[in-house]
Amino acid sequence: GRRPSILIVEKDIRSSIPECFSHLPMAKRIPLSQVHKDVHPAVLSIGQQMSTFAIKDSISRLEATLKAFRKVIESYETPKGNSLSRHFVPHALNPQIEYLTECRPMCFSMGNAIRLLKAKVNSFDIDTPEDEAKEGLLEMIELFINERITLAEFVIARNAAKQIQDGDLVLTYGSHRLVEKTFLRARGDGRSFSVSIIDDPYDRGGQVMATTLRKAGIRVFYSPNLGGLKTHVERATNVILGAEAIFANGSLHAAAGTADIAVAATAASKKVIALCETINFDRERVSVDALTYNEIDPEQNSAESFRLLYDTTRDHYITGVITEFETGSGNSPAQAI
Amino acid sequence: MAPSQTTYSPSMEKLVKSLKGQTLEASIESFIYLLKRRQVKGDDCADATAHILRQVVAKSKWSDVDQLLSRVQTVGSRLAKAAPHEPIIGNIVRRVMGLIRDEASEDRNADDFGSEAASDIQSLATAIAPPSHSGPPQRPGPVPFRPPPLTSVASFHIAKPKSMFNLLSVVETAESTITAASTPLSQAAPTSIHALRSEVLDGIEEIMDEISQADDQIAGFADIQIFPGDYVLAYLPSRTVERFLVKAAAKRKFTVFLVSLENPNTTTGEAPYAALRKKLSSSGVKTISIASNGLMAYMARINKVVFSARVVYQNGGLLVDSGASVAAQAAKAHSKPVIALGGVYKFCPEDPSDEIAGEAGDSSTYVSYAEGLKLDSLEVENTVADYVPPELVDVYLTNLGPQTRHHLAAIMADHYKPEDVGFSFLSNE
Repeated sequence: GRRPSILIVEKDIRSSIPECFSHLPMAKRIPLSQVHKDVHPAVLSIGQQMSTFAIKDSISRLEATLKAFRKVIESYETPKGNSLSRHFVPHALNPQIEYLTECRPMCFSMGNAIRLLKAKVNSFDIDTPEDEAKEGLLEMIELFINERITLAEFVIARNAAKQIQDGDLVLTYGSHRLVEKTFLRARGDGRSFSVSIIDDPYDRGGQVMATTLRKAGIRVFYSPNLGGLKTHVERATNVILGAEAIFANGSLHAAAGTADIAVAATAASKKVIALCETINFDRERVSVDALTYNEIDPEQNSAESFRLLYDTTRDHYITGVITEFETGSGNSPAQAI
Repeated sequence: MAPSQTTYSPSMEKLVKSLKGQTLEASIESFIYLLKRRQVKGDDCADATAHILRQVVAKSKWSDVDQLLSRVQTVGSRLAKAAPHEPIIGNIVRRVMGLIRDEASEDRNADDFGSEAASDIQSLATAIAPPSHSGPPQRPGPVPFRPPPLTSVASFHIAKPKSMFNLLSVVETAESTITAASTPLSQAAPTSIHALRSEVLDGIEEIMDEISQADDQIAGFADIQIFPGDYVLAYLPSRTVERFLVKAAAKRKFTVFLVSLENPNTTTGEAPYAALRKKLSSSGVKTISIASNGLMAYMARINKVVFSARVVYQNGGLLVDSGASVAAQAAKAHSKPVIALGGVYKFCPEDPSDEIAGEAGDSSTYVSYAEGLKLDSLEVENTVADYVPPELVDVYLTNLGPQTRHHLAAIMADHYKPEDVGFSFLSNE
């Protein structure tokens, strides 16, 4: 039958994970033939893209999920004798969530958005008409995308750009959409500055950003790896880092290598600014080391190589966090969410 | 890039072989060529420098100690300038120069013995020349009655025939030491020159032995440093580190995190450190190859960090392979000990140079210019060497055993003569 074969495949994929990291999850490609029948085609598609990292960062995944859920809601019809507020979540929404989680462990922003979405469904009266409830959910998603993603990005880039002065040499790590937006905004505001990009040779996102910034007329120094980090950091005026999430204790959850940059910058007494939308804040989870919450890179999972996708930067290595609501220190997690 | 043995040992073998057949000048030139092309690197530079200096002593023409010192210094400067990124060359040159000074003063002292007239002046000369500090076991200072150096061959002490000529030369020696260093130190008799030559050659042999045995001696301390159940992070394991790990694996069961800077996209064929991993796994030691430059993510699991120093500076700072400083820094942030491996021949009596750390390497391995990133539009910086400040190093594990930062000065003083310490092989003077 089918079930055992899935188990065997799964066992094989995970068998090369060293025992000391066996508690950590890893994204996994699920053959289309094994996907639960209740999974919506739109969700099916983004799940595949997430498992292959075609949709990668937290906010892109959130946005894709919300847009797919919009289609799920649009095509949802409450079965006779049921109400949307009781039926939608367990029967229509949960299979989508389970599938997405199986493709790749859910990121914090997706978890936050889904919690808010479920709360909204629960807020409906049992006899709220289906159309009205669907309309309410779709409106909420619209507002969510506009406020928590689009507007947040705009505000953060605007506020962070103010941190960049003429003549600055700003150091950053890899590529992050907020960081890129910030540099472009600062350039658009007429600031004249240079950027030093330290890249992760196993990801190389920084190369793409380097090209984009260069096209916008920003002078870019590019380092393909963390070699000579101390020299690069000492030469920089300040450091701007993008975060994937922020834990309840103010620790930064970001691309592996970010913590190394922050530690080097702190040792050199440079200002370290982290950028993060409030939707990525986690109010419950606490992390003091990178092995509490992390993900194994499925592309580097073999006997010859092992790689973690994230690391944890403790709040004392961060000077400040810029969110769309406030600019504060890392250990005052935004109240806004 | 990872210093895998296979990439440079063939050229090293070729070099040593060519030394035998070629003239001195041709050997020097071919070594300089290899240095400039970076086909001889790191520990091999030390070995090759010793080989070349041995040829200088053996083949070049010199009739007194000063001439010999000047020959060695000139060739040493040429080598050092060809590879300013390898300060280890200067270490060996200084060691050889110190050796020559030792042997020369020993000769003088031996001659002295027969001449009471000269002995007063001689002792004056000894008092003026800065004595070497703190009674080293390897290279004792110029004291009249001294035991044969531990590292030297006992045959040194065969008394030389005494003649009027010798007597005169001793007096001259003493005078010239007082007046100026540029005038000849001694114009010893041909027999004495001959003896000095063979003594210096023996001494250089011993330095070469020291270099070749250092890795094994360091590995001898492995089971003190590594405990059962440890998670050891080995950054770009060099031959020294490999031997250390394999030796530890013979006695202990632990796990090794191997970190290489090697770019996955340019690596072809064999996985990095395949041979080492095979050796370790045959001893029941697990290896995990980390595909990451950032190491903070893994440090919570790590018990200690091990890498080898290219050079240990006099302040205790290290010249290391690119990225090792990130490993040291991550270890510090998690309060995990950092063990730096390196024989005492790597101890460099200089201050760290800003230019060497941050040395630029080939960037085309990382950036494909065909992808539209033009050279003039992006400033690509790929460093191949890093500097680790002394506060990030916990243990300096040498062939003489584990050392602390505070003991480095004493080791430096034992191995280098004060008059050679201040000399810069890179300056044009």
